[in-house]
Amino acid sequence: MQALKIAATGMSAQQLRVDTISNNLANMSTTGYNARRAEFADLHYQQVSRAGAVSSSDGSLLPTGVQVGLGVRASAISLHLEQGALKETGGDLDVAIEGKGYFEVEMPNGEPAYTRDGGFKRSADGLIVTNDGFAVAPQITIPDDARSISINASGEVYAYFDDAVEAELLGQFTLVGFSNAKGLEAIGGNLFRETEASGNPFVAEPGEDGLGTLSQGYLEGSSVDSVREITELIEAQRGYEMNAKVITAVDQMLSATTAVR
Amino acid sequence: MDNSIYTSLTRQSGLNREMTVIANNIANAATTGYRAEGVTFTEFVHAEPGTRSLSMAKANVQTTSMVQGAMTKTGGTFDFAVEGDGFFMVETPNGERLTRAGNFTPNAQGDLVNMDGHLVMDAGGAPIFIPPDAGTIDVGTDGTISADGQLVGQIGVFEPVDRNALNRESGVLFESPEGAEIVENPRVVQGFLENSNVNPIDQITRMIQVQRAYEMGQSFGETEDNRIREALRAIKGQ
Repeated sequence: MQALKIAATGMSAQQLRVDTISNNLANMSTTGYNARRAEFADLHYQQVSRAGAVSSSDGSLLPTGVQVGLGVRASAISLHLEQGALKETGGDLDVAIEGKGYFEVEMPNGEPAYTRDGGFKRSADGLIVTNDGFAVAPQITIPDDARSISINASGEVYAYFDDAVEAELLGQFTLVGFSNAKGLEAIGGNLFRETEASGNPFVAEPGEDGLGTLSQGYLEGSSVDSVREITELIEAQRGYEMNAKVITAVDQMLSATTAVR
Repeated sequence: MDNSIYTSLTRQSGLNREMTVIANNIANAATTGYRAEGVTFTEFVHAEPGTRSLSMAKANVQTTSMVQGAMTKTGGTFDFAVEGDGFFMVETPNGERLTRAGNFTPNAQGDLVNMDGHLVMDAGGAPIFIPPDAGTIDVGTDGTISADGQLVGQIGVFEPVDRNALNRESGVLFESPEGAEIVENPRVVQGFLENSNVNPIDQITRMIQVQRAYEMGQSFGETEDNRIREALRAIKGQ
């Protein structure tokens, strides 16, 4: 019986949903994390008889067909690109993006990666780096003797020195945008990589091209909504149980069939 | 001829098909925009000249529930739901298809596509370009899309000419062989997705009914078998 296999596709779909929810809940306090949502679509249909097929010699047509669906598949696990709440940290190098842009960082192999995690640090040689020590592009170096750092909404980084009245401009953060940010590939460590689906990155100064502005002293919290996740979790669990019930029912039907002498 | 067994068998196989349909509905209980399907049994009468007619059951009419599914708030800029009648239209390699699943996104070229990468059509049947550098995208209830206040397009909402003639396709798509017409005053909601309209209680109840009816048919077969056995024994005993 096909119903058995169909229910199995249903169970694995709900399983995938639970996996996605668990990952969201696990990342509830990950800086700049975007919640993911598992999306489903129905599988192929088996055409028993097609609507509009000729049903008799006088040319009458079947008004509706008979199609048997073969289950469900995951169509996407899409990024939920909602702005996370900003948390005040007071950190000099904590920068949150208010908008849809990404920071570009340079990975050790020289490839660019993109992140919304603006919890930056200063490396031993003064570079602004991510928590993993990857340099932010374009590179900005903070001199050793800088007393304090100020970053404005358009990403300009100023340093104040003990012996100077005027602040010195060290560099400017840029933001990167994508046609389809949902198409980015997550590579862990709050980093994303561009793919063929995301489109080419385009660079702009903060405040331009709709990529958002920067806020110093803030970090973007995770956009996971715990209430929604828990409701979804319950739904997924019940959905799983319903599919399991189908399996039990089909099993009983099969056992009735095999019991026939 | 043991016509009674054949008659019962046609029902069994129909029930089997209905179970498949129920399983598919339950499997798609979390599928955005999925429309529950049902099966109707019809009588199938066959009479050879000079014999009495034999009525059999045949599961051969398919129904698609067009009940509005519940809405889930996602807050996604490119998540849309149609309220009331109408479908979104996407361009697949096999032609235009209708769908109620409004989880769209701009692709790498900036054109609005669904999760399988099919282009979403505007009211005039053309793709919809979303400027990548737009800050905010707003969609009005009639489907008009504006980027930073500038009109960029309108999502088309279409109604099949003949709802009964819809063919289902993988990916929550419907093919309308008769074509589709534009809906004049559609209601499109941004930031929401329409859930599957499968009613789990209905499905589970129907599933139990089907299961029991199937078992009853099976025990009917057994009773018939016994009857024939007894008859043979009686004849032998004479």
